[in-house]
Amino acid sequence: MRARNNQTTITGTLMRFIILLLITSFSFSSHAEWEQPELGYTLSPLAKPVASPNFKLEDMDEYEYDFADYRGKVVLLNFWATWCPPCKREMPSMERVYQNHQGEDFDVIAINQMEDADTVFSFFGALETRPTFNILFDTDSEVSHNYNVRGLPTTYLIDKKGNIRYRAVGGREFDHPEVEKIIEALMKE
Amino acid sequence: MNCKHPQASGFFAAIFLLATPLHAAEVSVHKNAQSGLLTWTSEDDGFSIELIQLLPDFVRAVYGKHDFTPVEIERIAGYCVFGSIIKNTSEQQLAYNVSDWTYTDAQGKTHPLKTKTQWLEEWRKVGIKFSWTLLPDNGIFEVGDWQQGFTTVALPRESRFDLTYTWSLDGQRHTGTLKDLQCAPETIKQP
Repeated sequence: MRARNNQTTITGTLMRFIILLLITSFSFSSHAEWEQPELGYTLSPLAKPVASPNFKLEDMDEYEYDFADYRGKVVLLNFWATWCPPCKREMPSMERVYQNHQGEDFDVIAINQMEDADTVFSFFGALETRPTFNILFDTDSEVSHNYNVRGLPTTYLIDKKGNIRYRAVGGREFDHPEVEKIIEALMKE
Repeated sequence: MNCKHPQASGFFAAIFLLATPLHAAEVSVHKNAQSGLLTWTSEDDGFSIELIQLLPDFVRAVYGKHDFTPVEIERIAGYCVFGSIIKNTSEQQLAYNVSDWTYTDAQGKTHPLKTKTQWLEEWRKVGIKFSWTLLPDNGIFEVGDWQQGFTTVALPRESRFDLTYTWSLDGQRHTGTLKDLQCAPETIKQP
């Protein structure tokens, strides 16, 4: 009976994973034409730096991160979801810029909106490069509301003192030399 | 406007025309070779808009992944839903407000678009917390900013209509119209 239950659980998990994969691939194939706009690289400076709201969120392994612990680092803070095509498109450039600054005072955090670990896990399975930066879960979108995020993706560049200095609404190529220049200037402050 | 001075009335009319430039924007229509679904794209005066027909089943699949009841899924899938992409293509700050946008149906009647705020109010009443996927009601786009999301039109499948949309650039209001848009069919039509 127990073996049968285990088999049922495994079959159920497998079916769940297949359904998630199908839904994810359906979303992106149906959204194929949404991917037409080229990704730019402009980040808009805020006229007046704003203190970034603090948050504590968990990653896929339920490890909690406190954003206050990132003081002293320049942070690329990205709000995203798996169903959002430009979020998927800009993610490889986020990984590249993250890799470019390994060991420096720079970090990348991508905050997923209202999805679960299963959905994100299957989404990563479909990516050529799996992100190695922190993916955190904003399950009720409270953090995104505190950051006044109106649409996805939205990205902020936060300085070492925790102030929001730049904003980008819509997808970007974050490893573009112009963005790198801004990140390096913020790191030198 | 009830104006006692005809010259003043003409002056205000001239200001109105200056304040709301109307240009014949280039509109391109693309048909997806596989699905037959249509996409309209227009760019004018620093603002580009793209509307993509979405099948009701696609809309059902998107909301089915979240905390939507079958009733609410069918309610939004019953609308004529487009994927919309709007972009600031200018070199200055741009603002838009969907509550100023209207559509004109085949009978010539003009209606306001249902906004994201209106949808969210209805969803909150039935306990739905999900607040993404719809095009944000309004926004200020800096150089290079763009946004995408669903736009919903309260018309039956395959209805035809015109969409009038507005945006502001450097304090100047602009208006554009996409003519003869068509709602998606219930399913992809086989050739």
